Amino acid sequence: MSDSDNKSMSQGSAGEARNKAMPDLKTLAIEAQSMKAGDRRGFLKGLLAMTGAAATGQVAAAASQANLPPQIPSWTKSLGRGVVSKPYGTPSVYEKDVIRRTVPWLTAESISSISMSPLHELKGLITPNGLVFERYHAGVPEIDPEQHRLIIHGLVERPLIFTMEELQRFPSVSEIKFIECPANGGMEWKGPQMEGLQFTHGMLSCCEWTGVRLSTLLAEVGVKPEGKWVLAEGADGAAMARSIPIEKALDDTLVVYAQNGEALRPEQGYPVRLLNPGWEGNTSVKWLRRLEIGDQPWHMREETSKYTDLMADGRARKFTFVQECNSVITSPCPEKPWQNAGWYEVEGLAWSGRGTIKAVDISFDGGVNWVNAPLKGMVTSKSLSRFGYRFKWQGGPLLLQSRAVDETGYVQPTLRQLREQRGVNSIYHKNAIHTWRVEADGSVRNVQIP
Amino acid sequence: MFRFLDSVAVTRVVGAMTLAAVMALAGCSDKTASVETTPSTAQPAKNSVNNVEHALFGIGEAATPAQIAGWDIDVRPDGLGLPEGEGSVEDGEMLYEDKCASCHGTFGEGEGRWPKLAGGVGTLSQERPDKTVGSYWPYASTLWDYIRRAMPFPAPQSLPVDEVYAITAYVLNLNDLVDDDFVLSRDNFSAIEMPNKDGFFVDDRPDVKNPRCLSDCIDPATIKIVETIAGITPTAHIKEGGTDARAYSEEGDGHESGEDSVGKNIHDSACKVCHGSGVAGAPVTGNSDDWQERIKQDKTLIYQHAIEGFQGDSGVMPAKGGQAQLDDVAVKAAVDYMLETSR
Repeated sequence: MSDSDNKSMSQGSAGEARNKAMPDLKTLAIEAQSMKAGDRRGFLKGLLAMTGAAATGQVAAAASQANLPPQIPSWTKSLGRGVVSKPYGTPSVYEKDVIRRTVPWLTAESISSISMSPLHELKGLITPNGLVFERYHAGVPEIDPEQHRLIIHGLVERPLIFTMEELQRFPSVSEIKFIECPANGGMEWKGPQMEGLQFTHGMLSCCEWTGVRLSTLLAEVGVKPEGKWVLAEGADGAAMARSIPIEKALDDTLVVYAQNGEALRPEQGYPVRLLNPGWEGNTSVKWLRRLEIGDQPWHMREETSKYTDLMADGRARKFTFVQECNSVITSPCPEKPWQNAGWYEVEGLAWSGRGTIKAVDISFDGGVNWVNAPLKGMVTSKSLSRFGYRFKWQGGPLLLQSRAVDETGYVQPTLRQLREQRGVNSIYHKNAIHTWRVEADGSVRNVQIP
Repeated sequence: MFRFLDSVAVTRVVGAMTLAAVMALAGCSDKTASVETTPSTAQPAKNSVNNVEHALFGIGEAATPAQIAGWDIDVRPDGLGLPEGEGSVEDGEMLYEDKCASCHGTFGEGEGRWPKLAGGVGTLSQERPDKTVGSYWPYASTLWDYIRRAMPFPAPQSLPVDEVYAITAYVLNLNDLVDDDFVLSRDNFSAIEMPNKDGFFVDDRPDVKNPRCLSDCIDPATIKIVETIAGITPTAHIKEGGTDARAYSEEGDGHESGEDSVGKNIHDSACKVCHGSGVAGAPVTGNSDDWQERIKQDKTLIYQHAIEGFQGDSGVMPAKGGQAQLDDVAVKAAVDYMLETSR
């Protein structure tokens, strides 16, 4: 949003307020609190002008100058809430815009739909539990963990049934892994149509997951030599099911019951889900109730009708499990424009389902020239990695891009390369280099360079 | 307590017995159970999975055949998992009209954004491919399996086996894959061949190779820029006059946990699927135009229609919306919620 937008918006609000016969100051103050900071300032300025110096302490406290030096802020001159006034803490009221969002027209109904994480507001690598993107095929079941069971059967020596208590007795591991819907970015195969980062890349989150290795559980049941595939099935109303090759199951697949230090959220599969690091999120079956070992895949609906990638010639790829190397600049972005010329850090996220991010390059000129953007903080396999590049913006237009390279040497492709290979109807696995157009006024728009 | 039972064999023998019973068998109580530091010191059975040796922990109980049978619902392309049973296209048509057509359309054409089931043959390489059961799905088993596991959408796993056969037969018939007098059964299932069965190939990525060029990678003069289509993204949080403020118009501000009423919860899980979008002529919750005539009726009558079902001018209300498991009180609570929010 530009400054002029702010101004016109706040003037409008103040104008409306004037029309009210005798505005209740308390109500107005509450209204003001629900506004964005910029709007609130203008709104309260207008209000103060209107009411003169007669403003109550409450309004004055919220006004732009009253809490700034040399004044002593109202919160310094009063007492706050006591302990356990919120037994489970929530973010500041000023963070109310940091929420998951959906695009309503994507699906017929919210029960079988998807929401996106607000990547533009997130710091570091970890997605807070309440902001992890959602994907349901039949809504979120509310499962009583005491009445939940996981059965493992099929081509095994000892079919077993586990309670949640029993699953948590196995040796646990905690690993930081991203999870991404393969349809992330899928609305833009044919052209750009999403006006924000949250919608172009937000089907992506990263948590510390805790659980037991699937290989541990498979050892417990004893997989017969002819067992080559594992069917994972959820306890939701879609009984969501996917076929997983035994090689993956024995490699790094986890059966997790916790995320970021607490029990899984219902949205994320409470009380237990599968986690296939680096693979399309749909394979990480939530509300996991059953694992069956078989000698061939099942060709479930979610691996035939859906989650298959239609090519230009009408044939389709199946079992496209890996989320290939990808990256995006998160600051600036349409939701986080720049203001004045000067120093900024161009920041972003990179990830690869094949392992560790080795390098990220960024371009300011639409891919003509590239510079290396150093990785920041922890860099680990199949997790998000963060990069940052210090940049003195002169106030001119830019075509900003990022391009990640992973440990296999795979370089994130251009949109043109992907389209030449796959056409524009594959829906899934669009990991192309993304372009933000930065305007001279600092605003940022989603564009494509075909 | 009771970390690693030192006789793995005991747990297997007792199978479904309770942990307490196992402990009694092993001659130990909670307090006196011997605690091993690792399972290997107890010399447990070894097991080989693809040549990797693992120790057993002896945790979990034997799953009984009955337990497995109740949950083992999957069906594979080779027919493995199909239960005994049969269903005709004729029966399927009636069932489909009753349970499926409101979303999937009378001819499988799909209402609104609900999945289209029929047609689309020959479109897969066109600009707008139509991926239906007939044009895209490689195996009929997937259809049978998905109907059993997840359909009808508001009442999953409610269909008897014969009805699953019948509806599967009818959807195949809608796609001209079986005749009108066809009766589908376990015995003839494997004879069904889907038109696009050879249309899939296993993932062969990486399929593109982008060299890591650093300078003068493309000619700047060739750069064309395609702008975003404006107005179809929910942008109320970032733009004045932004479209679709769903994130804001929803209850609370996203941080409030919010105490939803029973009626709202029932509505959201059972009724919203049709009354949220107005599919099949359902009056949309919150739309006073849709409800003003209905609200004038006696509330008892509205309850009765919701509980027993109703054939209206604009569409059919199935009894309890097809969710027979709901008790009457729950349905009434949902009706109250819908009336309150639709005045």
